[in-house]
Amino acid sequence: MMQACLLSLVLSLLQVGTMLEDPAAEARAQDLMREIRCVACENEPISQSGSDIAADMRDRVRAMVAAGESDDDIRDWFVTRYGDFVLFRPRADGVSGGLLWGLPFFLLAVGAAWLVVRRREQDDAGSGIEAVPAEGAEFDASGAEENAR
Amino acid sequence: MIEAGHFFACLALMLSLWLAFAGLGGDRRLAGRVACGLFLALALSFLTLIVAFMRSDFSVALVASNSHTMKPLLYKFAGTWGNHEGSMALWCLVMGGFAAAGALLMRSERPVFEARTLGVQGLLTSGALAYLLFASSPFTRLEAPPLQGADLNPLLQDPALAAHPPMLYLGYVGYSFVFAMAAAGLLEGRVDRVWARIARPWAMAAFVPLTLGIGLGSYWAYYELGWGGWWFWDPVENASLMPWLVGAAFLHSVVVTEKRDSLRAWTVLLAVMAFCFSILGAFLVRSGLLTSVHAFAVDPTRGALLLTGLLVYGGGALGLFALRAPRLKGGPAHLLVSREGAIIGNNLVLSVATLTVLLGTLFPLLAEAFGQVMSVGEPYFSLTFTPIMALALVALPVVQAWSWGKADWRSVWRWALGFAAIVAVFWLFGVAAFDIPLLAGTGFALGVWLVFGAAWEIWRRAGSLRRLGRLPARVWGMTLAHAGLGVFTLGAVGETALRFHGTLALQQGQEVELAGWTFRLDDVDSIEGPNWYADRAYLTVMRGERAAVLEPEKRIYPAARMPTTETAIYTMGATDLYVALGDRRTVEGTPRWTFEVFINPMIGLVYWGVCLIGLGGLLSLLPRARRRRTAGDAA
Repeated sequence: MMQACLLSLVLSLLQVGTMLEDPAAEARAQDLMREIRCVACENEPISQSGSDIAADMRDRVRAMVAAGESDDDIRDWFVTRYGDFVLFRPRADGVSGGLLWGLPFFLLAVGAAWLVVRRREQDDAGSGIEAVPAEGAEFDASGAEENAR
Repeated sequence: MIEAGHFFACLALMLSLWLAFAGLGGDRRLAGRVACGLFLALALSFLTLIVAFMRSDFSVALVASNSHTMKPLLYKFAGTWGNHEGSMALWCLVMGGFAAAGALLMRSERPVFEARTLGVQGLLTSGALAYLLFASSPFTRLEAPPLQGADLNPLLQDPALAAHPPMLYLGYVGYSFVFAMAAAGLLEGRVDRVWARIARPWAMAAFVPLTLGIGLGSYWAYYELGWGGWWFWDPVENASLMPWLVGAAFLHSVVVTEKRDSLRAWTVLLAVMAFCFSILGAFLVRSGLLTSVHAFAVDPTRGALLLTGLLVYGGGALGLFALRAPRLKGGPAHLLVSREGAIIGNNLVLSVATLTVLLGTLFPLLAEAFGQVMSVGEPYFSLTFTPIMALALVALPVVQAWSWGKADWRSVWRWALGFAAIVAVFWLFGVAAFDIPLLAGTGFALGVWLVFGAAWEIWRRAGSLRRLGRLPARVWGMTLAHAGLGVFTLGAVGETALRFHGTLALQQGQEVELAGWTFRLDDVDSIEGPNWYADRAYLTVMRGERAAVLEPEKRIYPAARMPTTETAIYTMGATDLYVALGDRRTVEGTPRWTFEVFINPMIGLVYWGVCLIGLGGLLSLLPRARRRRTAGDAA
């Protein structure tokens, strides 16, 4: 952590928005910049924001990536500094995290299970279902039926 | 002048109430006439607003705070709806427009149902008009008119954004008419295949402009904001995506109701929900509850009123639904593996996707209520919404050939093999040979799979080349839309996975290499437009044979005291080289201009895909007209 701070200090003295030499490291840094929220703007990640603090935060991310810190270390550093607010990818821990990340998939699973179970019951009851080709019902059949009414 | 507009709006409020009484009373002829009168009054009222904007009549408060004499004519015109009050007036106008169109175009054998639809539409319009007149009136005068206006938000002074709100509103408000049909059907207790046949084209007439409107908004955000991306999962974007998803679900389930007379309760529920999500979107955007880069007209009291409207209308319709739903059961039985089953699966995925967007959008608010401050952004939606939607996309080519009732599921294995083969090809060639990420390779495979599936379906239905031209337009429409989904997927995956973003800091005359391109800053000029000043850079870009001069700008609109970026885009097929001019900074002791450089591969496919979806929707509206004519001839 200390090492990263020193490095970023040196970097910020150098120049603004310098990209990292190693393309892989730069790509990793850019992915992180899309996840970290600018603390001065309305609703923008630091990759987009034009504010000065976002530029500082970008430099900090690059410096930490260059110093070999892991993605989680970098996220942690920002969270300690600015709180959970700074992460556009909210953590999956705790009640709220579990709810947020789990609910969509839980709903999908429950919905699918409900459909299968309900259909099983109907299948047992209704045998002798006829298959009607999609293109048959597409046009003529329904049209004729309505006219007959 | 504007007083006449105010008068016509008040008249429209009276007429909408009359429409509600006449329509709900079941008088089709009277309701039709009142609906046309309502539209006329609203059109005249809106016209006076337009005239006030065109003439820069700054004694009108709205014009004074949103216009400027130096503004180009197009934006004076489009500025009418570039603000909260004006856009609400447009909302009312479109509502009346749908009532009039319905009055003129509906020709079913159910006059009472039609009258009640118009009646409910009148009721909805009266609510919107009351909100317009009493909570956000565009017609107020200023006692001391200023000599000059405060100008329209410069970001909105753009051709795409001039057309974006009317398109979007045709969509949002179009669902009000579908909602009215749902309520009328529920009132009668008759939601059946005839109802589905009447309602489907109206839902399509809302879906197509909503699709194109979202596309326009996204395209605008792409080239105007200068961030290089096309979708930011911003609350405002999410607000438009939710009714789109519900509307898409409705367009699928209504087919089941139309062809098989089943799934009736669910279909009518979706018809109600599509409009509820439209109002919810308006509420979220305008209440100021959520912070967004492009929310405008933020005002909590207005938000509370919108929420009340949502609760009254939505609650009323849902109450009616709860009352009638038990009567809407039935329909021929079907197996899980059947066309019905496939569409129910589609609806499950689209519903969960909608709820995911809702959850992600509202979660920060909920968390705040429990004392937790947090953000939900793009990474969340990429990891939840995207895989859930992908499920439906993988299944689409397989299940679209399934027949009603029960389908032959043994062919599924062959299809699974086909999908595996396409994925394998992309993994081998793309991932191994071209070093693209594994997930991107899978995504490309999915896009190709969808396009291939669409072609296969057309071929299967036609059977022979000769019969290809005789396929109903509705089949072509469906297939085009599904192919468009594939094209969109290719573009979205390509842009997301393979984009390049770099920053340049250049001195005049300096030449730099970045991502295979050579950039040379020739000059930076100060130029002046009708109502702005700008720095315009002349940047020569070269790569092999290709060479072009890009002219990105950074504009200042003095009246609004706001800078905007005008990006320069060099398009090669579907790939864009995209440059936004940044600030002038002193780097290493010399003044330099910074440039944000993006290379967005395949981004064009995103927009072509959206256009294909819209075109498919339009096409599927065609055969209806033909059939009506034959029915008319028979009678």
